[in-house]
Amino acid sequence: MGFLAPGALALAAIVPVIVAMYLLKLRRTEQAVSSLYLWRRMVRDLEANAPWQRLRRNLLLILQLLFLGALILALARPFTWGSEASSGQVVILILDTSASMSAIDVPPSRLESAKALARQWVDSQPNSTRFTLITAGAGAQVLVASSQDRHQVHRALDGIQATAGGGDLAAAIELASAVAARQPDSLIVVLSDGRVSLPERLAVKGRLRYVPVGQSGQNQAISAMSLEPNAGGESSIAFVQVNNYGDAPARRRLDLYADGQLVNAFDLEIAPGDQSTVIADALPQGTQVVEAQLLGQDVLPLDDIAWAVYNDSGPTAVTLITEGNLFLETALSLLPGLQVTTVRPADLEEGWGDGQLSEGLPEGGDLLPQLSGPTDSMVSRLIIFDAYVPVAASLPSGNLLYIAPPRSTQYFTVTGTVEQPVPRPVDPEDPLLSHVNLAEVGILDAAHISLPDWARPVIVGYAGSEAVPLLLSGERDGRRIAVLAYDLRRTDMPLQVAFPLLLANLTAWLAPGSVGGLPTQVAPGAGVSLSVPPGIEEVGVTRPDGTGVSLVPGTGQLVFADTAKLGVYEIAWGQAERARFAVNFFSPQESQVQPAQVLPGLASGGDPRDESPQAARREWWRPLALVALALLAVEWLLYQRASVARLWGETRQLVRGKT
Amino acid sequence: MAGQLQGERRSPKRGQSVEFADFRLYARGDDFRRIDWNAYARLERLFIKLFVEEEDLTVHLLVDTSRSMDWGQPNKLWYAVRAAGALGYVALVGLDRVTVTAFGEDANDSAGYFPPRRGKAQAQALFSFLQTLTARGRTDLAGRLRSYAALAAQPGPLLLFSDLLDESWAEGLRALARRGFEVTVMHILAPDEVDPQLTGDLKLRDVETGADIEITADYELLSRYRAGLAAWQAELRRFCGARGMHYVPVETTIPFEELLFAWLRQRGVLK
Repeated sequence: MGFLAPGALALAAIVPVIVAMYLLKLRRTEQAVSSLYLWRRMVRDLEANAPWQRLRRNLLLILQLLFLGALILALARPFTWGSEASSGQVVILILDTSASMSAIDVPPSRLESAKALARQWVDSQPNSTRFTLITAGAGAQVLVASSQDRHQVHRALDGIQATAGGGDLAAAIELASAVAARQPDSLIVVLSDGRVSLPERLAVKGRLRYVPVGQSGQNQAISAMSLEPNAGGESSIAFVQVNNYGDAPARRRLDLYADGQLVNAFDLEIAPGDQSTVIADALPQGTQVVEAQLLGQDVLPLDDIAWAVYNDSGPTAVTLITEGNLFLETALSLLPGLQVTTVRPADLEEGWGDGQLSEGLPEGGDLLPQLSGPTDSMVSRLIIFDAYVPVAASLPSGNLLYIAPPRSTQYFTVTGTVEQPVPRPVDPEDPLLSHVNLAEVGILDAAHISLPDWARPVIVGYAGSEAVPLLLSGERDGRRIAVLAYDLRRTDMPLQVAFPLLLANLTAWLAPGSVGGLPTQVAPGAGVSLSVPPGIEEVGVTRPDGTGVSLVPGTGQLVFADTAKLGVYEIAWGQAERARFAVNFFSPQESQVQPAQVLPGLASGGDPRDESPQAARREWWRPLALVALALLAVEWLLYQRASVARLWGETRQLVRGKT
Repeated sequence: MAGQLQGERRSPKRGQSVEFADFRLYARGDDFRRIDWNAYARLERLFIKLFVEEEDLTVHLLVDTSRSMDWGQPNKLWYAVRAAGALGYVALVGLDRVTVTAFGEDANDSAGYFPPRRGKAQAQALFSFLQTLTARGRTDLAGRLRSYAALAAQPGPLLLFSDLLDESWAEGLRALARRGFEVTVMHILAPDEVDPQLTGDLKLRDVETGADIEITADYELLSRYRAGLAAWQAELRRFCGARGMHYVPVETTIPFEELLFAWLRQRGVLK
């Protein structure tokens, strides 16, 4: 308890003045009356409760003195030291909304208790404090920017919901730090369970206080899951991996549902920090969706359920146009899910006829009738040109792989050859080069291709100081195109492991199956893209909760990103084309819900590690001023009580007279 | 009422008049002239024939001239004097004696006393006397009334014009009742006393005694005042009723003619 302006207490000198004025004022007006007889009779009654009368006579004085006292106290600005409050003029609240905040170890959930803490924090601050509220979900989002309106903060807090994904606390802290850098005396409060990844040394301007939320880390999660047809094709096989992220052994039961039917149940005993793998290999043939459920209770129910889907797409038609290439034909025949048709260029050109060529460029389908594959219904998805480029400029639909193009095409320009280029990956992490080791590869010569604007180089070859693209990929006219610049017969690559791997990667990208490259597993909130055959006007997506949405695909490509809900999504297009993908909560980071008591790797900028509770002044002049106002009102009413009572009595009489 | 001279009022005494009252046996000393000889002839016993005596009365008018009476708008004393004059005139016309006594501070001297007189001719003197009355000093109502009751030669109808604003009114009225007066209390109050128009913190000073009292005149207090006044008047009415007195509360705002011709007849003061 103390006073910010103790000088105001000197105003107490007014008190004797009021008392003196009151004593002077007590001289009453004299009024002559005929006799005091009746007045005395009445006053005798009054004097029966004389102490109260005396008090009442002095009530005005007492009220005036109280009013003055309250006013002087308010002017002196008393304050008390509060333990939870902060003296910061700017408070930036960061609320972690990552999936681990959905844990229910602190009822009703970590997020709700964090919101309650935030509300308490907001209410305990002085009125002048400005609040900024940032949520750290998939990205940092500013809900309230530097506002003094507590109701706005409360409303924003009410609307916050946990996401199913990770929390980008680093971005939120950087954002808050940027806000704090502009305003001095700011305090950043992080309400989180600490299950976040932060950069090594995150510099924070202003003071930072981390309030850990959560108690328990006892959580088991389905961390991986897949569904494949068995090798023989008679049955399906499901793979489920369950992790125990807690620090105690866990016994859980895992139920497996195949297309909605319970088909298997496993009792799992998992040591702390260990994992258990379940393989269910006798699922009915043609199983499309498998759902795995962990029974029982843990702190995060979100990760106790997972789905795996299998889209029965059938083989992808691949047309290989070659004079004969043993390496290529062998490698393609070994890749699963492909139905390869080999065509010789001479046969191809025979079918066209000379006249057709000279007459220009008819429809692609007519131009290459052989390319329509073994059955008419099956459109070739991938056309591989091995050391050959067709004369025709128009090609049927499908993705293209050019190997050692002898001359320029409509997509790229060949300007010559390069002698003995040394291949180097542009980006080792490129999915096309996954597991491909180019260090041992020697190349005799390669076509010199100038890089077109639609493509990016995947492998470049260094010949002297010049770098030429050896493998380039890209998308053009709604089709995926890859160009391998060197002939497979003029390199030792086919003799190395790198070749089948590279070919597998290329075909996986160029011939993604009939479902148009749809992944079967997607993280929550991530987008999926789907190659849609031409002519499809509308694509329907059914969400796990049964609601549907209708989308219009762009140029052969559909992107759907509304995948916040966990579960199985179904995409339908054309006559009866169906494909599914599962959105699963596979996040070891979020499933490890053990709250961290200290934020990992965090260093506060100016005032490091200011995590101790901050004692702060709480001022009391507002309630005192309110009390003074109330006293003043009461005093006035009391002074005017004669008029008020008369008014009241007359009104009552009037009402009574009317009734 | 018994009187001295023969007048026009019925007397409780038996006397000489034309109105027969009763018979009684002759006793020695009775006037022979009043023996009913017809009765003697029939019954051979001597009866005295009794007649209702009609005699005059002394009407006592007592006017309170204490300073508290010189108050109000219209003035209470002025109102009392007019009422006394009117009723005195009525009495004089009715062949009654009228005496007026003012209850001022020095009521014992002759200035405040109108001795009993009779006859319509005395009306002018009565009026002149009443006009000389002024309010002075304070009233010791009990003492004055007690001494008046003791000194009055002949009790009779008594009209008391007073505001009774004195602690001892009960004792005084009791003394009058004991002496056998036929008392009518004309309780005169000014409108200011019935419904005082006061506000604020006041020091009330008694014009009669000079004493003062501090009050805060608010609605509540004034309501209590009115309630107290009503209770007092009810108490007076009960007190008077119990002793066969007429109690007539009079507010000076009542028109004088109305008082005489309606109020007093209604209450049986005038016939």
